[in-house]
Amino acid sequence: MPSLLHQFWVDLLQDLPRFTETLVKMPGADKETDLSERIESFLSELKRCGSGAGSLRGSAETARETTALLRRITAQARWGNAGDLMEIIRKEGRRMTAAQPSETTVGNMVRRVLKIIREEYARSRGSTEEADQQESLHKLLTSGGSSEDNFRQHFAHLKANVIEAINELLTELEGTTDNISMQALEHIHSNEVIMTIGRSRTVEAFLKDAARKRKFHVMVAECAPFCQGHEMATSLSKEDIETTVIPDAAIFAVMSRVNKVIIGTQTVLANGGLRAVNGTHTLALAAKHHSTPLIVCAPMFKLSPQFPNEEDTFHKFVSPHEVLPFTEGEILSKVNAHGPVFDYVPPELITLFISNIGGNAPSYIYRLMSELYHPEDHEL
Amino acid sequence: MAGKAGKPNRPRKADKDEEEQPLLQAVLVADSFNRRFFPITKDQPRALLPLANVSMIDYTLEFLTSTGVQETFVFCCWMASKIKEHLRKSKWCRPTSPNVVHVITSDLYRSLGDVLRDVDAKALVRSDFLLVYGDVVSNIDISQALQEHKQRRNMDKNVSVMTMIFKESPPGHKTRCEDDDIIIAMDGKSKRILHYQRAQALKRLHFPMNIFHSGSDEFEIRFDLLDCHISICSPQVAELFTDNFDYQTKNDFVRGLLVNEEILGNQIHMHVTKDGYGARVSNLLMYDTVSSDTIRRWVYPITPEANFADQEGQSCTHSRHNVYRETGVSLGHGSQMEENVLIGRNTMIGANCTISNTVIGANCVIGDNVTLDRAYIWNRVHIADDVKVKQSVICDNVEVKHGVVLNEQCVLAYNVVVGPDITLPEGTVLSMHHPDEEDDEDDDEFLSDDNDVGYRKDKTKQKGSLFNPAEVGSEGKGYRWKTSSLEDTEEDDRAQFTLSNITWISQVYSNCSFPSVFQNEVHGTLQRGLDENISCDNLVLEINSLKYAYNISLKEVMQILIRVVLEFPFHQQGAQISTAQYSSHLLPVSMTLLKKWAPVFKNYVKRPQDQLDCLASMEEVFLERETHWAALVKVLMSMYQLEILEEEGIMHWFNQGSTTDKSQQLRRNQGLLKFIQWLQEAEESSEGDE
Repeated sequence: MPSLLHQFWVDLLQDLPRFTETLVKMPGADKETDLSERIESFLSELKRCGSGAGSLRGSAETARETTALLRRITAQARWGNAGDLMEIIRKEGRRMTAAQPSETTVGNMVRRVLKIIREEYARSRGSTEEADQQESLHKLLTSGGSSEDNFRQHFAHLKANVIEAINELLTELEGTTDNISMQALEHIHSNEVIMTIGRSRTVEAFLKDAARKRKFHVMVAECAPFCQGHEMATSLSKEDIETTVIPDAAIFAVMSRVNKVIIGTQTVLANGGLRAVNGTHTLALAAKHHSTPLIVCAPMFKLSPQFPNEEDTFHKFVSPHEVLPFTEGEILSKVNAHGPVFDYVPPELITLFISNIGGNAPSYIYRLMSELYHPEDHEL
Repeated sequence: MAGKAGKPNRPRKADKDEEEQPLLQAVLVADSFNRRFFPITKDQPRALLPLANVSMIDYTLEFLTSTGVQETFVFCCWMASKIKEHLRKSKWCRPTSPNVVHVITSDLYRSLGDVLRDVDAKALVRSDFLLVYGDVVSNIDISQALQEHKQRRNMDKNVSVMTMIFKESPPGHKTRCEDDDIIIAMDGKSKRILHYQRAQALKRLHFPMNIFHSGSDEFEIRFDLLDCHISICSPQVAELFTDNFDYQTKNDFVRGLLVNEEILGNQIHMHVTKDGYGARVSNLLMYDTVSSDTIRRWVYPITPEANFADQEGQSCTHSRHNVYRETGVSLGHGSQMEENVLIGRNTMIGANCTISNTVIGANCVIGDNVTLDRAYIWNRVHIADDVKVKQSVICDNVEVKHGVVLNEQCVLAYNVVVGPDITLPEGTVLSMHHPDEEDDEDDDEFLSDDNDVGYRKDKTKQKGSLFNPAEVGSEGKGYRWKTSSLEDTEEDDRAQFTLSNITWISQVYSNCSFPSVFQNEVHGTLQRGLDENISCDNLVLEINSLKYAYNISLKEVMQILIRVVLEFPFHQQGAQISTAQYSSHLLPVSMTLLKKWAPVFKNYVKRPQDQLDCLASMEEVFLERETHWAALVKVLMSMYQLEILEEEGIMHWFNQGSTTDKSQQLRRNQGLLKFIQWLQEAEESSEGDE
């Protein structure tokens, strides 16, 4: 009984600022409506930004925005203990991923934040998350109920700690592109011929960074029908990199001259495969045929616990307008036109991943996965 | 793609807009005011009919919201309560919705005109607004058109009242239907609409000749445009509808505005979108094409699996060949969903069915060996075994019994039962409502968008409630309706007429010497006006009617008017009067004339270009009479004082390179130079004051 009373007082004291605010402002609960408005606008933004090919805003930006929003939820939503908070985050996370299923970054960031909460909770309790994770068969048998029960304990400093950790995550996100491009000189040597496809901001930064010291030649496959390759080529040539644009059909023919293929990706899947822009599979097969190394520049936030067989959300088809313009009336009524955006690239075609924490082989992805995400969070 | 540049920075742009003007508003007319969807719309308003399992009005609202509209007024009339109920439950009425939706209902709306008059009466719109119907499906990014519209309105004040959005789709395109074929004459540079006509079943087209005199050197006559029925209107549009109580439809409005363009000075512009999709579900044929376009993802990101309406439990998966499945769908052994298929939740499909290009709603039961092609099946429909359906619409709760064959363009309205073992011929329409139960009062309630698509009643009286087994089968329930709108709009080659058929009727007129006759008439009118002391308003009216009678352009009217006024003294006193006499006559007489007729001039001289025209014709008159040059200054002076001419106009005219020696001489006239100097000084001093 005394402990319960004590709990009540602690709660009250902690809620005091909000409590007085509510008193002053009447029962408006401004914060909450403001929060839900923000979430709503983010959701609709996500839904709409999916038009066109690939990620229009850059997934780095999406990752940052998602994390910032999750931080806001942590700070402003009403929750008493870690379990509540995780429930809230999970709920909002589900909605966010549903809004744009092809944008896996959002789900990844939600999982990262969930993992942070778990860790902070464990730290507050005095045990380490590491110990929790090593679940032996024996432990699984004896623990009985789900670990969720354990998150019911209240810690006064949990909120501040979680926000602090999310801030660290945000700082990490800010630096990803720089961290990746810093490794450029190790991979690109003088007078090499590099091939890439479409436009990836990471690859762009990577190549530009190498160009400061080295001279090399870049072949850009245009990536029809959206032709982001054109933008890529313009941007690279502005930095005085020798650039050639080739049609996608010429990838195989040109491959024999290429020393290295460097590409970006939309998602790195749990098996080490890629979900990348349309045409990447062709490129990867051509590279395999000529035994050209294929390097994938992918920041860690693109790593998703998704497997390629989860067919439903894997595809993304946009309006076929670019493939066959709407004005071609008579033809349109007789044919079906499709505008697919992504390709699946199997892991055996990939030589190396370069992420912000260094280079890894596709076979190591499973390990990174378990470091970044808690196994219980794979399914939101 | 579409929004590559525009979309990423939309929030910031929206913020900027907010500073400039409060909100972007939209008027959504959730009523078609016609009966093309009859008898389906007897039970459900058109805006709520499902298109790819989502109500049409949701598509329209989603389009408006994604284009940045923050406040929408939904006007409904027919079955307003149903629409209201639907919207209340939808995501648009949640407090977090970025688009605030107000529903305004009244039984008195009979046309678009009534709605807009009400908008004006209630003063709902404060700035430019979007005008759409509740059955528009679109993903067009309107921001560019909106910007162009604003720019035009800033450039010359309030001349352009409306920007219509068009989509390029050449003749023969599936998304065109003949009902809505239009032919447009436009100014190639300014994108101004000069002529707008429905081309439906017209073998000959007539263009008024004066549209080609409007001073532009680039015309386009286009037949490859699809009206998206989205227009950006300025608040004046509502006012104009109030002023012209006979405008019923947008068509009336556009035609009326174009015909009276020279009097009212209002213009309509157009915007042709390149990569967006926009179409109005104006009849069942369009329903077919728009549904299939939606399934084929032309309206991306508004696709079935996006669940943009945010309805509970309506989640959809998209797989190869555009097959969409909601949750709880079961498919029997050997059934095939070939391509472009959407199946609603908890629908059960039997064995060995073949389904292609079809939309099936929720909770339907479909038997074995069923073939569906281009079928639109709504909710809770029961279809028994061995049924074949081709390009037909089957509404809620219909029961199709064993062995029924529906041929092309059949419509089974709500709750109908058909079969067993009957073949419905092409274009059959069955409804539980008896075709004769319409009362005439009801008929008047719906003014057709175009009177020729009026609904013709089946006159063969079929009193008594017995259903005809020959029509609906032995266990069937329903009455046969004679006309089907699908039939009306059957595709044929009538639309394939070429522009070579256009006859240039008006050409004949332009060769005649009407201007001289017109000049005499104007002179007579003014003389009479002076003698009988007729008010200026009436004079304007008379001159306008003369203008139409002789088919004279506005520019010519002005030239002639100037000429008549300036030559007035000559006519009265004979041609041989001296300068002094002229000025003394013109000045007391003609100046009083000028003063008197100042409103007449002001009516015609509005834009800077008009002033230049006016000055040019003045110059012309005086060039003919060298002796009276001194008087020019006085005329100019008085015109300036009467505020008919402005100093910029005069300066512009004066500085304009003169072409002939004589006009250069005229410009060197002592008095004129003095006047110009005086003007310059006045201008400088006024600038100094500022």
